[in-house]
Amino acid sequence: MEPTIELSAIVPVTGRYDDVAELYGLYKKGLEDTGKSYEIIYVVDGEYPEVMDVLKRLVAEGERVKIIKLARWFGEATALTIGIQHSSGNILLTLPAYQQVEASEIPRLVERLRDCDMVIARRWPRKDSILNRIQSGVFHMLLNPVSEFKFHDIGCGVRVFKNLVAKEINIYGDQHRFLPILAHKYGFRVLEVDAAQSKMDIPSRIYSPGIYVRRILDIFSIFFLVKFTKKPLRFFGILGSSVFTAGFLILLYLLYTKLFQGVALGDRPILLLGTLLIVLGVQVFAIGLLGEIIIFTHAKDIKEYTIDQVIN
Amino acid sequence: MKDLSIIAPLYNEEECVRFLYEAIVKVVDPLQLDHEILFVDDGSKDGTFRVARELAERDKRLRVIRFRRNFGQTPAMAAGFDLARGKILVTMDGDLQNDPEDIPRFMVKIGEGFDIVCGWREKRQDKLVTRKIPSVIANWLIGKVTRVPIRDNGCSLKAYRREVIQKIPLYSEMHRFIPAMASIAGSRVAQIPVRHHARKYGKSKYGLSRIYKVLLDLLMIKTVVSFSSRPMLWFGSMASLAAIGSLLPLAYSIVVVERTEGVSIVVPIGVAMLLGALSIFLLFAGAIGELVYKTGNLKMHTLAGLRASFTGFETLPKEE
Repeated sequence: MEPTIELSAIVPVTGRYDDVAELYGLYKKGLEDTGKSYEIIYVVDGEYPEVMDVLKRLVAEGERVKIIKLARWFGEATALTIGIQHSSGNILLTLPAYQQVEASEIPRLVERLRDCDMVIARRWPRKDSILNRIQSGVFHMLLNPVSEFKFHDIGCGVRVFKNLVAKEINIYGDQHRFLPILAHKYGFRVLEVDAAQSKMDIPSRIYSPGIYVRRILDIFSIFFLVKFTKKPLRFFGILGSSVFTAGFLILLYLLYTKLFQGVALGDRPILLLGTLLIVLGVQVFAIGLLGEIIIFTHAKDIKEYTIDQVIN
Repeated sequence: MKDLSIIAPLYNEEECVRFLYEAIVKVVDPLQLDHEILFVDDGSKDGTFRVARELAERDKRLRVIRFRRNFGQTPAMAAGFDLARGKILVTMDGDLQNDPEDIPRFMVKIGEGFDIVCGWREKRQDKLVTRKIPSVIANWLIGKVTRVPIRDNGCSLKAYRREVIQKIPLYSEMHRFIPAMASIAGSRVAQIPVRHHARKYGKSKYGLSRIYKVLLDLLMIKTVVSFSSRPMLWFGSMASLAAIGSLLPLAYSIVVVERTEGVSIVVPIGVAMLLGALSIFLLFAGAIGELVYKTGNLKMHTLAGLRASFTGFETLPKEE
């Protein structure tokens, strides 16, 4: 009879990874120190033959690792979701496949879950390069105004949370990064806990330009998810009507110069700008209305609240 | 299944909870109905939940739902509707401004065969400039736009037949539009005057800032109730407007500019092309709208099917 598992550690392997066997050893040590019964689940997101070889060897050596291999690359959020579906612990712990936080910090992080629903590690004090810190600083500066919660290190993959948090929140695409923000939005208590940064995490990283564009788009999408999910017209309506008004004012001005100062309309390129703004305004507004139709026709799937408890 | 559920959302109403509970019990107990009271604590930061829990421990007919955080009045009501067990659901404010004494009259109206009974505050005890005047304008606008003249959409004291309210989508700040939407969908709506008391405890949670929200919500409700079932028609008519708008400068450039020396053709042609593009965009938006409506799980006709006999607007009494 297997002992019931209290803690499920999920390691998504997607893109970046460090020496698998070494990291497994570190994580295992950290998990054992928590004093809880645990399981480790590796979710291999697509083709990583090297990783699979090491993991298979670990299993052959008698290590109790659960391996889930996805048929192709689906992205980290999907990998995590699948990992969570296959987990059986009440406490979930996500760990990156590379060293971010010293594995010895795991017991302390798990311990802190006592008085909240989600603990996210914050690499602090930061020992890595100025470049990394600037990148992260700028990202959070942009993110925090939309997240309604002051996060310092949303990029850290080490997170401990109760199973029910995962049940309430669906993530997809790149949203794993924002799990804490969504958790906070759904009313769960989120706590940021300082944890020692791993030495392996220190070298500077410069990403391809595409990654930076994606991060900006992430902020945009989280902005929608947090603020305007159920009222698209509030956002698009204001934006659209402001643009429309700007265009309208330009046309009014043109009409004035035409009627009272006799300036020919056909010679004024600003007429194009005015028309363009009106066109854009109408388009943005129309998108907002479409959004409303989408929300309305799918309203049955929308539950806008989470219940903490019901008495009687 | 119980006969009656009374739903009151509470947000930071520590002082009111007990009085509210006692006032409701005093009115409902003599009715001899199998009833329940639902208090929805919308993430209060004060002792609201503690007081409500103490009351619920002594009275099993009081149920307390506690949200994880503050989600707003519509979600609080939606939660009440989702968890209620009654055949008739009555909603009211948690701040004692509504009077539970009015509840029996709501029950009578439901008994007469109405699906929704809305209260309207006869002598409203609120600030004139920041509350009453905006409310009169908003109600008039909502009435114009939805063509359902509800006197007081903002009054929380309402009674619903369970089958009706559970089919109506509730999200964002939709609770304001339930009667209008239900009426369009063919439900029979009655309106009765109710008492209204000045706020004794706590602070009002509304301000003038919601005017622009109400305006956009109006457009939203117009869109969803009138056009969501035939988006192509509506986007298509906007597209035709844009098409006409693009033909005018085109005609101008062909007729006028061609015959006049030294006048540039670029700008009017540019305007024509922009409006032409808008026209095509709107047509495509309409097509997407059709797709959305087709794949969505809420159809206007399921709402309209709430009543076998569609009675339209004439069931609304003009005056009570």
